[in-house]
Amino acid sequence: MPELVSSKFIGPVGLSIAQLLGVTKHRRSTLALDRLTLDLAAGQITALLGPNGAGKSTIVALLSGQTAPDAGTVRLFGGDPQRPACRARLGVMLQEAGMPRGLTVAEQVALFSGYYAQPRSLADSIALAGLAGLERRRCSALSGGQQRRLHFALAICGQPDFLVLDEPSTGMDTDARRMLWAAIRAEAARGVAVLLTTHQLDEAEALADRVVVLDRGRVIADGPTQTVKAGAAASALRCRTALSAETLRSMPGVVSVTSEGSRSVLLTTAPQATLRALLASDDAVDDIALSGATLADAMSRLIDTSTQKELAA
Amino acid sequence: MNSLARTLAITVRETRATLLSVLRTPQFWLPTIVLPVGFYAMFGVALPHGDPKAAQYLLATYAIFAAAGPALFGFGAGVAAEREAGLIALKRVSPMPIGATIAARLAASMAVTAMSLALIMAVAVADAVAMPAWRWVAIFLLGAAACIPFGLIGLNLGLRLGTQGATAAANGLFLGFCMLGGLWVPLSQMPGWITTLAWSLPSFHLGQLSLGLSGIVPVHDIAAHIAVIAAISLLAGVGAWAGWRHDAA
Repeated sequence: MPELVSSKFIGPVGLSIAQLLGVTKHRRSTLALDRLTLDLAAGQITALLGPNGAGKSTIVALLSGQTAPDAGTVRLFGGDPQRPACRARLGVMLQEAGMPRGLTVAEQVALFSGYYAQPRSLADSIALAGLAGLERRRCSALSGGQQRRLHFALAICGQPDFLVLDEPSTGMDTDARRMLWAAIRAEAARGVAVLLTTHQLDEAEALADRVVVLDRGRVIADGPTQTVKAGAAASALRCRTALSAETLRSMPGVVSVTSEGSRSVLLTTAPQATLRALLASDDAVDDIALSGATLADAMSRLIDTSTQKELAA
Repeated sequence: MNSLARTLAITVRETRATLLSVLRTPQFWLPTIVLPVGFYAMFGVALPHGDPKAAQYLLATYAIFAAAGPALFGFGAGVAAEREAGLIALKRVSPMPIGATIAARLAASMAVTAMSLALIMAVAVADAVAMPAWRWVAIFLLGAAACIPFGLIGLNLGLRLGTQGATAAANGLFLGFCMLGGLWVPLSQMPGWITTLAWSLPSFHLGQLSLGLSGIVPVHDIAAHIAVIAAISLLAGVGAWAGWRHDAA
C-alpha cells in the first residue's frame, strides 16, 4: 500500500485556490453560466450538483482552461487557467476522455507524470487508482470502469493541489467506487482542494464538505452539505394522489412538489399539518410514506423553487 | 529545472510515446510506407526498363510523395481521431505545452517518412541509381523536412473535421498534391494549365527543390520555391492556431 497522506505542504486549509468572479458563458448560443461567482478552498471537497444543463461541465471547462469566459474572470492559483503554467498544480478527470490506442497503462501514467514538476512515483499513482496488476495492459483494452480508474490516476499522478473530478465514479463498480472515495478523502486531507461534479447524490453526501447547487447557470444553494440538506426541507411525504401539483403546493407546510414516477413527493416543514390536509382533500390517496429529507429531496426542492420563481418572474 | 529544459524534456517523452503508439498501429504506417516503395519499384524501376535517368528523377519526386502520406494522414486523420476520442481534451487540461505534442507528432511523421524513404533509396541503389553521397543525404533531409508544411496543412483538417471527414479530405489533398504537383508524372508531360495550377501547391515546390538536389534537371527559381513553401507553411500554421482556438470555444 502506498502512503496515502504525503508530507507535502500545500497551504493552510481554507486558502483560496480557484475563483470564478461574475462569470458569464454561452455555449452553443445558450446561456450556460449567468454572472456566477464561486470560490474554492484548499482542503475542502466541494460537490457541484444540478440537473443536466445547469452549468456544471462549463465550470469544469473554465477551471481547467479548456475555454474562456464571455465575461467575468476565472483564476487558478492566481493566474489564467488557459496558460499551461497555471495548470502545473491542477489534476483533472474529465467526464468524456479517451484512451490512447497504442500505449500501456504504465506508459500513459508515466507520460502524464512527466508533465508535472513533482509527480508521484508511478507505483503510487497506479496503486492509488486501483490499477495494480494492469500496468502492462494496453489502455484500449481496459474495461469502462478500469478506464475511469486510469483517468483518476492521470488526475492525481502529478500530486496536484487542486483536483477537478467530473462525474468520477460513473461506470465504476461498488469496490472501485469505495476505493476512489477513500483516495479522494486522502487527497483532501493532504490539503488538496477538490471540486466534484456528480449525479449520484449519495456520492456528494458521502464525500463533500460543501455542496453548491446550480440551476440554469446560477448558484441556488451553497453551504456545508448538512446545512443545505437541513435548510431545504424537514420531511419528505411521498404518496399516490390525483390532486394537481398546484393544489398540493397550496397545502400547509408544503415547500415543494415534485414527482417520482407515479408518486408525488411533497417536501414539507410541517408534516402533520400537510398529512391532515392531504387526507381531507383526497379520499383515494394511497401509498403514503413519510421520511426525513435526503440530499436528493433537498435538491429537488431547490430546483423546483427556482423554477417556480422563474415562472413567476 | 528551468521551464525551457522542462518543455524540452516533456517534448522528448511525448515524442517517444507518440512514436511507440504509432509503431504499434501498423494499419496506419504500413500502407504509408508500402505504397511509395511499391509505386517506385513499379513506375521508377520496372516500367522504364532500368533507365537510371527515370529512376533518379522519380527518386527525387517520390521523396516528397513519401512525406505527404505520413504527414497529411498523421496530422489530419490522426489528430481528428484523437480529438474525437477525447484525448486532445485530456492533453488540453494538462500542464503540457501544446507545442510539445505537435513536435511529437511531427517527429512521428518524420520517422515514418524516413522508413519509407530508406526503402525507396534501397530500391534505387539496387537499380544502380548513382549520385554523389551528399545528394542522397540532401534528398533524404528534404523529404523529412517536407513533413512540416504537409503536417501543418493536415493539422487544419484534424482540428476542424471528424475522423471520417478528415480522412477523406486528407486523401483528396494527398492525391491532388501528388498528381497535380508533378510527383508521379513529370509536369512536362501534362497540360499547361496543370503547370500553372501546380504553382499553388506545396508538393510542386518541394518536388522542384528535390529535383534540384538530385541534379537530374537544372532547377531555377530556388528562392521562389522556398518562399512559396514558407508562405504556405505560415498560412497553414495560422489556420491551425485558429482551429485550435476554435476547438476550445
